[in-house]
Amino acid sequence: MIIVFLTPALICYVLVFLYPSIRTTIMSFFAVESVSDPVSTWQFHGLGNYAKLFHTAIFRQAMRNIANIWLVGGAGVMVVALFFAVSLTNGMKGVRFFRSIIYLPNVVSAIAMGTMWINYVYNSSYGFLHNVFASLGLQKLSETLWTGPGLLFWSMLVAYCFGMVGYHMLIFMASIEQIPKDYTEAAHIEGANALQRFFFITLPFLRGCFRTNIVMWTVFTVGFFVWGQLFSPVNLSNATVAPMNYMYEIVFGSSASTATVRDSGAGAAIGVIMMIIVIMAFAATNLIVKNDDVEL
Amino acid sequence: MKKTGIYSSYGTKPELHYHKKECYMKKKACIVALLVLSVLASPLFAGGASEASTTKKTVTYWSMWNEAEPQGIVLAQAAEVFKDETGISVDIVFNGREIRKTLQPALDAGEKIDIFDEDISRVNSTWGKYLLPLEDYAKKSYPTTGSRSYSDSVSTALLDLARQEGGGTLRVAPYQPFAFVVMYNKDLFNKAGITITPKTWAEFEDSCAKLVKAGITPITVDDAYMAAFFGYNLSRLAGLEKTLQMANNNDFKDPSVLEFGRIWSDFAKKGYISKKAASNIYPAGQIEEIAAGKVAMYLNGTWLPNEIKGNAPNLNWGAFAWPAMGPNGTGIEANNYGAQCFGINVNSTVPDEAFQFIVYMTTGTWDSALAKESLGVPMGKDSDWPKQTAEAKTIIDHTTTWMTWAVGMENLPDVNAKIKENFSKLILGSLDADGFYAAMNK
Repeated sequence: MIIVFLTPALICYVLVFLYPSIRTTIMSFFAVESVSDPVSTWQFHGLGNYAKLFHTAIFRQAMRNIANIWLVGGAGVMVVALFFAVSLTNGMKGVRFFRSIIYLPNVVSAIAMGTMWINYVYNSSYGFLHNVFASLGLQKLSETLWTGPGLLFWSMLVAYCFGMVGYHMLIFMASIEQIPKDYTEAAHIEGANALQRFFFITLPFLRGCFRTNIVMWTVFTVGFFVWGQLFSPVNLSNATVAPMNYMYEIVFGSSASTATVRDSGAGAAIGVIMMIIVIMAFAATNLIVKNDDVEL
Repeated sequence: MKKTGIYSSYGTKPELHYHKKECYMKKKACIVALLVLSVLASPLFAGGASEASTTKKTVTYWSMWNEAEPQGIVLAQAAEVFKDETGISVDIVFNGREIRKTLQPALDAGEKIDIFDEDISRVNSTWGKYLLPLEDYAKKSYPTTGSRSYSDSVSTALLDLARQEGGGTLRVAPYQPFAFVVMYNKDLFNKAGITITPKTWAEFEDSCAKLVKAGITPITVDDAYMAAFFGYNLSRLAGLEKTLQMANNNDFKDPSVLEFGRIWSDFAKKGYISKKAASNIYPAGQIEEIAAGKVAMYLNGTWLPNEIKGNAPNLNWGAFAWPAMGPNGTGIEANNYGAQCFGINVNSTVPDEAFQFIVYMTTGTWDSALAKESLGVPMGKDSDWPKQTAEAKTIIDHTTTWMTWAVGMENLPDVNAKIKENFSKLILGSLDADGFYAAMNK
């Protein structure tokens, strides 16, 4: 009976996930021009695609960019999300309103969000930052080219993280709400202040939640694509390129140029590298952040 | 066997009688059956004679345009009229630029696609193996070409380019041509007292000085076109061949790169190029600076008036070729021009009808309509050029050296990204000419 119920899911898993993963992994060892080229035309290339990628400056730059997104962006998002989560589970008024407001960027299309940030926040002639600094009399600061060289990556990162806070905040809130009130009440009676209650009660209970958030953040970072496209919409820039953007370009050809060289084998190799990163991050997180030793 | 037994039991007479009766019954049954069939089948063939002659075949066209784009709108309208005139239905599937991803898998899977389109290089190179040769079709005349052949009715320069890209034979039909030129605001030039468009670098510099004096920023660029800007400059300084070598080898040790750095570092200091160009994410420069009338020039394609017509419907457009810059480089006779192209699937079952539609779209009324609505360039020799792009016609007509897109600077993503980053820094002054040269060779 179990088999009957499991079979449809198993078939879906094999067709939708396992087969493409295996095919992509095999393809990454071959020279393949188009994703739909018949297997008979593939030429064995060994580790050539991987070697080529790591000798390509823009791919190395893309890897550096996602490392920065993961580390700097991740730290920022987790700290802010946790701060909001703790604040909103502390019995303050208007919790539902603030929770909705903070989560709102998640339900707005990334395209709309990106356009909003580029045109209405960062624009050096009429953007929000320009207007705020100009009104404060900070003329030089108001003329800052937020999407110019040196600042483009950080501007993109802030815009991206702004939209991600709400998602991780909800995960933190769900976990905090499961912590038995007895602990905090007892600590409160014993004289523990808010910071002590947070560090010695709330935080230890959130270990499993942290693990979930880190894994999810890793998955999102590895799949980073749309924001790179928005901040460099026509062709790749060093400041905004992520491995997925580069993969898209070499698999389907450049967006603007009439240069149409494609390399689906190298694109598959990027996919495999990204998959390995996610698996490694998952394993490392499991190793470092141990399971909760407290039953909730 | 059974009948034989019966006949034999009745003898000869009854046997004859039986045969007569059987024939009569058979005749009657046949007549009744024919009558019933004709009654039953009559609705199927009601008006069948005329329908069969007018309902011809259906051509399936996978389009690179979106339905809401001017090109998409005109194509859809043309397909309707084409059906009325010829009886041939054209089923248009609007893919937009997603066609770059969707077409090849669909062709490989045997999907019914008769016509597809995209850029001239992409259609010829990426999808070359799916193309039906068109030389024979091009030799014939069609209703919209009059007594002339198709080849004699459309732009010779574009057909030559199509043959060049197709390995010496015509395998695509170009349409929506473009030229990569300096698109400029005539009113701002007039305001600055510039009466003739610059052809030499000295004249260009003089024009920039006049514009700055009149309070107008001479030129801008978006991140999307920085590599093309750099490529054009290098080709004018070092020549086409050397520029392509630099682009394809990612090797920028040529002195022309340093010279480029010197020129544009100096121009940036003089205010000849917008500071915002360093941070313009496409299409910021063309909308906030060109359409807003703050900046006079943009090295861009003849598609620019169409792209920003919503923001600047009345902009007084002019066009000139990027000026010559030095004795070793190319002059205004070397330019990049190209087109979108229709291709016919080699496996199409209706290639004649498909080419008929292609001719319909690239000559006569609908070629002009396409150019008019998209503020673009027509393909037919007799078609009217919109005033916004009219000056580009002279440039195409006088072009003797065809340059590839961005003079090769977008061929390698590495090179493109490096140019964008370093040129932005050069504009802002965070890199001087030497720093730019060093960064390009890092």
